[in-house]
Amino acid sequence: MLYELTGVEKVLGGRKIFEIPAFSIRSERIYSLTGPNGAGKTTLLKILAFLDRPSTGQIRFCDRMVPQVESELLELRRQVVMVDQSPLLFTRTVAANVGYGLKLRKVPSAERRKRVIEALELVGMEKFLRTEAHRLSGGETKRVALARALAIRPKVLLCDEPTANVDSENQRIILDILAGINRREKTSILFSTHYQSLEQQLAHSSLHLQHGRLSESQINDVFDAELIEHDNEQAFCRLAGKAILRLPRRLVPEEPFFTVRIEQEKIRLATEEEPARTAGTPVTGRVVRVEESSGAIRVGVDCGIVLHLTLSGRLYAEQPIPVGASAVIIIPDDAVRCLANNGSRDRG
Amino acid sequence: MELLRDSMYSAILLLIHLDAETLFIIWVSLKVSGLSTLIASLIGIPAGLLIAQSTFPGKRFVLTCLNTLLALPTVVIGLVVYAFISRRGTFGSLGLLYTQEAMIIGQVILIVPLVTSLTIAAVSKLDKRYRLSAMTLGADRLQTALVIFSEARFGIFAAVIAAFGRVIAEVGIGMMLGGNAKGFTRTMTTAMALEYDKGEYVLAVALGIVLMSIAFAVNLLFQFFQGRTRTDAV
Repeated sequence: MLYELTGVEKVLGGRKIFEIPAFSIRSERIYSLTGPNGAGKTTLLKILAFLDRPSTGQIRFCDRMVPQVESELLELRRQVVMVDQSPLLFTRTVAANVGYGLKLRKVPSAERRKRVIEALELVGMEKFLRTEAHRLSGGETKRVALARALAIRPKVLLCDEPTANVDSENQRIILDILAGINRREKTSILFSTHYQSLEQQLAHSSLHLQHGRLSESQINDVFDAELIEHDNEQAFCRLAGKAILRLPRRLVPEEPFFTVRIEQEKIRLATEEEPARTAGTPVTGRVVRVEESSGAIRVGVDCGIVLHLTLSGRLYAEQPIPVGASAVIIIPDDAVRCLANNGSRDRG
Repeated sequence: MELLRDSMYSAILLLIHLDAETLFIIWVSLKVSGLSTLIASLIGIPAGLLIAQSTFPGKRFVLTCLNTLLALPTVVIGLVVYAFISRRGTFGSLGLLYTQEAMIIGQVILIVPLVTSLTIAAVSKLDKRYRLSAMTLGADRLQTALVIFSEARFGIFAAVIAAFGRVIAEVGIGMMLGGNAKGFTRTMTTAMALEYDKGEYVLAVALGIVLMSIAFAVNLLFQFFQGRTRTDAV
């Protein structure tokens, strides 16, 4: 276990922010942390970064009790790094900023230089090596702050709203970087985000903090997957030990066990006009549930796993599929995201 | 107006024909004030950084005390230090009375609270994220303090300049602990007081103008350094 929290409470200004009786966070995973404003997401991240202490309770980090003494915290703090929601760079050059953590760790200057350039290349900011940090735009500052954190190759990366106040291009870049370092470096990542946002697709698990309680929310659209067979073009995977899904080979990681996340809003019903084979993976199943909610029809299709698709009332009227009927649904390629399990078999 | 015109004229003459005596007076002023500022900065800046960054019971009380000490009259400092270093005082045997060292001791006491409280003000104004960024990147307490110092350096420089301005212009400590001994502890301000006592108003004001010119030059120098660090940073 990466973190084990027992009886952790935080009281700020006489108000109890949260109370976590027992909670574990596994290593080498990406966790998203959602919750309303003021729920204590940032405070929790600061506690996990050892920058703040809980009012009561104990934390174990990598099976070691987190000490209360400041001088002993330094060693733990050097394995974890937190990137602020609106990070500040030091009044120095970009290179000096990114190299700062390495300098503190007494990394020799030649090696330091190499790692600074590597980290900047990772975030696509290598051209700004000699630029004074405060001349950068908001999105660039965020990317350099991320490079500054990644340069030290932390065991754990904690990001507070990594894509808040960032344009969509920079958002995509940041998300790709996070997914990439989790896959390559096996860095554990925990990031806070708005509920149901784009970047939630990135996470292996979703944590939710509300009314002072932390819960691991049930994600209905995440499945354990096993690679059964593949060629250069396509791969066949078994989801949740049942349904067989055909996916383009490029989407599937190079390991037998992984996690698949399906964005159910994108699932379509195969119609007669649309040949089923062109748009994505067709899956045949049996309708097990039909519900009406605010004008739209939600149809549950059991194809080994139950997937839901949403149809407009008009479309459903044209092509009614009653419970028990057989239906062909299409899972578009862009609705599927595979996440590496980094070696472990189950997704936890 | 005549007084001022004559004084200006004398001041210009004084600056043109800098005689050895005037030069020595200026040198003593700069040396004593410079060393006091240096020592006070070495004490006040770390103290300010420490106080600003830590939370401890009674912090508010410490801040109130520091602010009160800003209003400490030089005469009171003169009297207290005199009590310690006069022949019958605790440190009487060191023979410090009426020396430049005695003046420095008094001046350091005068400006340590100033440097400390202005440093605290400069650091408190600084964004807390600088400290957290340094810590999360693995800085220990000293390394964090260095980051804070570096980011707050303009404010801290201003504190040092203000402290220098305070001591180069003060007269009470110079008189009481230095004694205005010609060729030893006479500074520009004590010389001015003396000329005034003698009725030499023109010379007194002329010395005043010289003092202001030097203060201006020193500030220009500081600004040059500050400007350069800012340009480095920009």
